[in-house]
Amino acid sequence: MPPVDKRDLLPGTLDMMVLKTLTVQPMHGYGIAQHIQRHSREVLRVEEGSLYPALQRMRQKGWIKAEWQQTPNNQRARYYTLTPAGQKHLGLQETSFADLLTAIARVMQSA
Amino acid sequence: MRELLARLRDWFRRDRLDRELRDELAFHQRQLERDAVAAGVAPAGTESAARRQLGNLTQVREEARDRWSIPWLDHLQQDVRYALRGLRRSPGFALGVIITLGLGIGANAAMFGIIDQLMFRPHAFLRDPGKVHRVYLRYTFQDRTITTSNFEYKRYLDLSQWTNSFSDHAAFFLETAAVGSGAASRERSVGAVSASFFDFFDARPAAGRFFLPTEDATPRGADVAVLSYPFWQSEYGGQDVIGQPIQVGGVRCTIIGVAPKGFAGVSEDDPPVVYFPITTFAGSRPDEDGREYFLNYNWGWMEMMVRRKPGTSLPAATTDLTNAFARSWNAARATQSGMAPADVAHPVAIPGALKTAAGPDPSLDARTLLWVTGVAVAVLLIACANITNLFLARALRRRKEVALRTALGVSRGRLLAQSLTESTVLALLGCGVGVVIAQWGGVALRRLFLAESATFLLFRDARTLGAALAAALAAGILTGLAPVLQARPGDLATTLKSGARDGTHRRSRTREALLVLQATLSVVLLVGAGLFIRSLSNVRDFRLGFDPEPVLIATRNFRDMEVSDSDRVRLARRMLSEAQRIPGVEHAALVSSVPFWSSSTTGLFVTGIDSVQRLGQFTFQTASPDFFKVLGTRILRGRPFSETDIAGGPRVAVVSEGMARVLWPKQDAIGACIRVRADTMPCTTVIGIAEDAVQTDLLAQTKFHYYLPLEQYRPERAFAVMLRMRGDAGPAADGVRRALQPLMPGEAYVTVRPMGDLIGEQRRSWRLGAAMFIAFGGLALVVAAVGLYAVMGYDVTQRSHELGVRIALGAQPRDLIQFVVGQGLRFTLVGIALGSALALFGSRWIEPLLFQQSATDPIVFGGVALLLVAVGFLASSIPARRATEADPNRALRTD
Repeated sequence: MPPVDKRDLLPGTLDMMVLKTLTVQPMHGYGIAQHIQRHSREVLRVEEGSLYPALQRMRQKGWIKAEWQQTPNNQRARYYTLTPAGQKHLGLQETSFADLLTAIARVMQSA
Repeated sequence: MRELLARLRDWFRRDRLDRELRDELAFHQRQLERDAVAAGVAPAGTESAARRQLGNLTQVREEARDRWSIPWLDHLQQDVRYALRGLRRSPGFALGVIITLGLGIGANAAMFGIIDQLMFRPHAFLRDPGKVHRVYLRYTFQDRTITTSNFEYKRYLDLSQWTNSFSDHAAFFLETAAVGSGAASRERSVGAVSASFFDFFDARPAAGRFFLPTEDATPRGADVAVLSYPFWQSEYGGQDVIGQPIQVGGVRCTIIGVAPKGFAGVSEDDPPVVYFPITTFAGSRPDEDGREYFLNYNWGWMEMMVRRKPGTSLPAATTDLTNAFARSWNAARATQSGMAPADVAHPVAIPGALKTAAGPDPSLDARTLLWVTGVAVAVLLIACANITNLFLARALRRRKEVALRTALGVSRGRLLAQSLTESTVLALLGCGVGVVIAQWGGVALRRLFLAESATFLLFRDARTLGAALAAALAAGILTGLAPVLQARPGDLATTLKSGARDGTHRRSRTREALLVLQATLSVVLLVGAGLFIRSLSNVRDFRLGFDPEPVLIATRNFRDMEVSDSDRVRLARRMLSEAQRIPGVEHAALVSSVPFWSSSTTGLFVTGIDSVQRLGQFTFQTASPDFFKVLGTRILRGRPFSETDIAGGPRVAVVSEGMARVLWPKQDAIGACIRVRADTMPCTTVIGIAEDAVQTDLLAQTKFHYYLPLEQYRPERAFAVMLRMRGDAGPAADGVRRALQPLMPGEAYVTVRPMGDLIGEQRRSWRLGAAMFIAFGGLALVVAAVGLYAVMGYDVTQRSHELGVRIALGAQPRDLIQFVVGQGLRFTLVGIALGSALALFGSRWIEPLLFQQSATDPIVFGGVALLLVAVGFLASSIPARRATEADPNRALRTD
């Protein structure tokens, strides 16, 4: 299966996946991209051009926090952490996304 | 909202964010390169591969950067920078504008703070203030309309019972009483309030509780008290006081609670230190009127506040309240024969503003204050006119620059934005200066107007700061619009081609109008100042009929202790003889009342006159023999009292000149017979005529007053010793108090006040009016003069070419001076004419505020005109002198 282009993603799903990823642990942008890529079994390849603007947007909305830290390899990287507000938003997103998937599945099975 | 704030914060640190994003992307790229190497791509290709994968680096950064860019803010920042750069280039101009505006805004901020507190700002903790009213009663008495907010407790019961427009009613009475016991007792402000009073507020007691309806019941409430927070802190150190006793006036109360911090009830100055039930206060009165306060209409004292029910309109509530008052009026009339019927008295009850200054019967102080506020606004207007003029002048100078920028494609909107930004930046800087001025001057003002001793911090008062900011923005917009509107589009080519020679005749109508406007407003303010000065000197020169300055008044307070009449008389005599022994006392006398403090009336009957009362109000007082020497009241004919006018001797009286004239217009008053109290009493013979003396009201038209010897008329009523001091009375007050205090029995105590203080209170509004009008009038004059000077000076500079040509053609320095000064004076004269007309027009409203002073006084108008001409001359003669220095050589060579 070819990698999915970001335009084909449902609106808001990138945010949701980033937030979900950050529930595991604080990560830097590269780590987030890798995580999503790996866990989607290489289907979703997060284009960095959309990842960083999304991270800035979510930071301004107060869902995530950014902090410069040392990586295990002693490099400086900006790590993102989920905030309580982000946690709450993720919960809402997950529910509505599940509803949406169910709805789509029903349509797809009806014919 | 939160996101907006975050964006705003990001905007301020956008440079750092840019840097961080770059670092972050670099890190990302390094990771990708590492991955590529691990995947076996040749090192040479790694970088390009990584970059490919990262997408368009620039685009990523642009897109992220959009998150912290706010375009209009960028524009604003540019404009502000541009404005600041311009101001740094001409610091003198900037400083002038900032200080001028600062003075104008400062004056307004200071006045706003006071007016707001006096009229608009709701009382602390008051719930839904828009629906809470103070009740005012209005009726006609002897052809005069009387408006009052003080009435009887019984009336309060009537109005509460017979209305249904209000959900809450409360009675309250603020007075001064001795609080505490023994040597620690002091006269403090106390509040007698109904239990329902606290229901008007969203206030929870800081400790204990407020009183219950059962504790505030007729005939006499429970002896409970609620302390104010500051009193609790200062007197008890904030310790547990619930259950402790406290003496409030004549009542020994138990403390049941402490009001929260900042709670001041509805008092406008000097908030009570302790609250106790109004029925406790009234029910503990020793006199009969007091004891039956809830049954009869004899004692009008307390005030009432109500809360309108939701959905009840104000007119409906007024009608309802008026009907109840009319019914109550008839009920009162049934018990009192002297009252006029309702169709003559026209009783009206008004649910008015809770703040008396905003109510239907504002004090002279409050009315004067409103005028002064108008004056402050005028000062700001003058300042704005001034600055607009300066901007216009500068716009003319920058004509070419603007034309060039327009030619280069800068839109008019952008120019307007820049001009507005510049004027607003200046106005905001002026606002800063103004707030400092207002803080500094406001403290002094508050001490005058609000009798407020607490330090006031304007910087913490959001309403006043808001008002100052609003004034600054308005001034900024007002002054910034004119230059852009003035610049006409379309004549770009002409402007670009023209040189210094051009523009000499193009005098701007707007600028001339502004100069005239400044002069006009200055004239109006100065006329006001002049009138108030004259009024004040009238007050000062006004013969009261006595000399208050050297006199001290010593009163004793028995704190509602039962004292027999004979003990009272004995104590009074001991006080008098002790007072006469105090060093520095010239004379001393016992009195039953003191002018400007209290007055008494009783029945007065004169043979041959049907009803003496119809002629006006006759007040009287009793006094011991030295009284006239103490007060300095002159005996015009006959003799004053002497030691021989004793009880049982022939009854004698001294009458005022006015009284003698009205009662015995055709015959000599001396030897005439008056009967005091009842027409069956024996004759009291008039033995002397004293000069007229003011009793309670400086503005009173009639001064019908008579004096009886203390020994012959109820000597137990002597309530004060008046002492005439050699030299200054004020500093001697405490010595007198210490000398007399040892005579007091039990808890009783002596209070000593200079008589001047009593009268000072009445003179206050005139003193204030004069002080404020002088301050603001002077300010206006300075600002207007500076404005005229600046504009004339600027003109001269602009016209140096023309003036140079004139000199080259043989004009003498004197001609040039005349030419320039003549122009300056023309504006001044037009301003004087317009301003005088305006002041004449307004005279009818200002006259009631003045003391025996016509508001069309030609001396004031003439003086102001002369002053303005002088200032106009001065302001234009300096630039005129500079005009003579114009260099004809340069003028002829340029262009």
